[in-house]
Amino acid sequence: MGSVYRLTLRQLAGRWRLAIMTLLAALPVLTAALILRSTEAPSVAEFETVALSALLAGSIVPLVVLAIAAAAFSNEVEDRTLANLTLAPLPRWQIAVPKLMAVLTIAVPFAAVSAFLTGHVAFLADPKATVAVTVAAVAAVALYGSAFTWLGLMTTQAIGVGLLYVVLWEGFFSGFVSGVRLLSIRHYALALMHGLDPRRFAGTDHLSLPAAVVVSAVVFGGFLWLSIRRLRRMDVP
Amino acid sequence: MTDSTPVIRVDRVSRWFGSVVAVSEMTFEVRPGITGLLGPNGAGKTTLLRMMTGLAATSTGTVTVFGEPVRDNPPLYRRLGVMSEHETVYGFMKGREFVTMMGQLRGVERLEEAVDRAIERVDLTDAQHRPMGTYSRGMRQRMRLAATLVHDPEILVLDEPLNGADPRQRVHFQHLLRQLAEEGRTIVLSSHILEEVEQLAETVLLVVNGKLAASGGFRAIRAALDQRPYHVRVVCDAPRRLAALAVGIGSVEAVNLDPDGGLVILSRRVLDLQLELPRLAQSAGISLRRVEPLDDSLESVFGYLVEG
Repeated sequence: MGSVYRLTLRQLAGRWRLAIMTLLAALPVLTAALILRSTEAPSVAEFETVALSALLAGSIVPLVVLAIAAAAFSNEVEDRTLANLTLAPLPRWQIAVPKLMAVLTIAVPFAAVSAFLTGHVAFLADPKATVAVTVAAVAAVALYGSAFTWLGLMTTQAIGVGLLYVVLWEGFFSGFVSGVRLLSIRHYALALMHGLDPRRFAGTDHLSLPAAVVVSAVVFGGFLWLSIRRLRRMDVP
Repeated sequence: MTDSTPVIRVDRVSRWFGSVVAVSEMTFEVRPGITGLLGPNGAGKTTLLRMMTGLAATSTGTVTVFGEPVRDNPPLYRRLGVMSEHETVYGFMKGREFVTMMGQLRGVERLEEAVDRAIERVDLTDAQHRPMGTYSRGMRQRMRLAATLVHDPEILVLDEPLNGADPRQRVHFQHLLRQLAEEGRTIVLSSHILEEVEQLAETVLLVVNGKLAASGGFRAIRAALDQRPYHVRVVCDAPRRLAALAVGIGSVEAVNLDPDGGLVILSRRVLDLQLELPRLAQSAGISLRRVEPLDDSLESVFGYLVEG
């Protein structure tokens, strides 16, 4: 598994990709700082809507993860080097798991640092709220990572399909069709955040913490299982 | 070799993509030694090789390797070495790193020794510490072959392995493949360079339009095509007289005079012609200067099949 993991890290850690991710990760921190410097201090709900829900959970985390996770397999499918791995005498999970671990290794630090600093700046060093925001961001990375890694195996257009999911499904439809939230990674992550610090993030209609944990585990494990299954069944170019 | 146990069995295998049939009802066996897979572009060779290595599923039929289904059978892949036709490599990796990684993935013991051996075999020791992105096409192919050999597989499946190789590299490559075959390995290689298949392969599988048009030794395939006449060119000192005599040979279908003074005889049974022609010429006092088959190359056999 170590070979697949190291190979994937080298494939994904391109200089340009890391630079763009750094830029994206800095955006919510800057936004939080700017909001706090404005004359009228925002309410928690306003801050959550702008910095956490829309920016961090709604765009930065999914976009950062999409850029990495979609490439974990789809680049190899496209340049036809995936056979180097699939013709190895390894159970398919020993290919899918290290791939996903490499995705998380790269994406988690960006999302975690970004979320931690955003929470720290916004909640004036309230540790509970900061931890809630950080844990939710890390969970979101894991969930998006698992989903988009699978997507990269399903289509070479994973970036486009992933963008449609993030922008249309999570950003647009879930705003006015409440049922859509049940199938939204963004809302699972926000539910975790609410559950971890209900005092700070009270009065919303998200899932309960136990439900959010269970759903998150199912989504993470489910997409990982689908990736393994896909590796077993797909025609490798 | 022909008495040995089949290593790969392809049994009534078909594969289609939508309405396009890429491979249709193919059945054959591959035994130790070198087997050449030959056919024009789009004939279904690569699809067939992908099914033989488990990379692609069959639509119908089965492929077994050492008696086991090859698809979704990772433990079996330890015995297989596959080099696809695609030349993409990890450009950021050095040649040695690539071979080492492939060895690790295949659970090679005493890895460093195995890597040294594989790289030596392809004669790239001097270039092993250079990034593969800087290699020529031929060097990339050789380093990919080293990576294919690092785990010492019993079966090698090589799709167009000589692509991009210069003449010196081709000779080295051919020598290496013969050596590997002599060690008892089963090698299946595809190539569009007919001469190479003819020179290398003990057995030829001819694939045309997704079907197995013929299989066996090159000459056996040619013999199986007896319904088509052989073209034999004869150069002599009295072509018109010899032409008149040659039409009397039972197996001769036609005799044409070349503008340059030669004869082209069409015969269905070339052995008869070989016996009769010298006898006729001698009795008529005609001196034969050259007798050469015009279509005894793999290319001409292949051409017949494609036309057919």
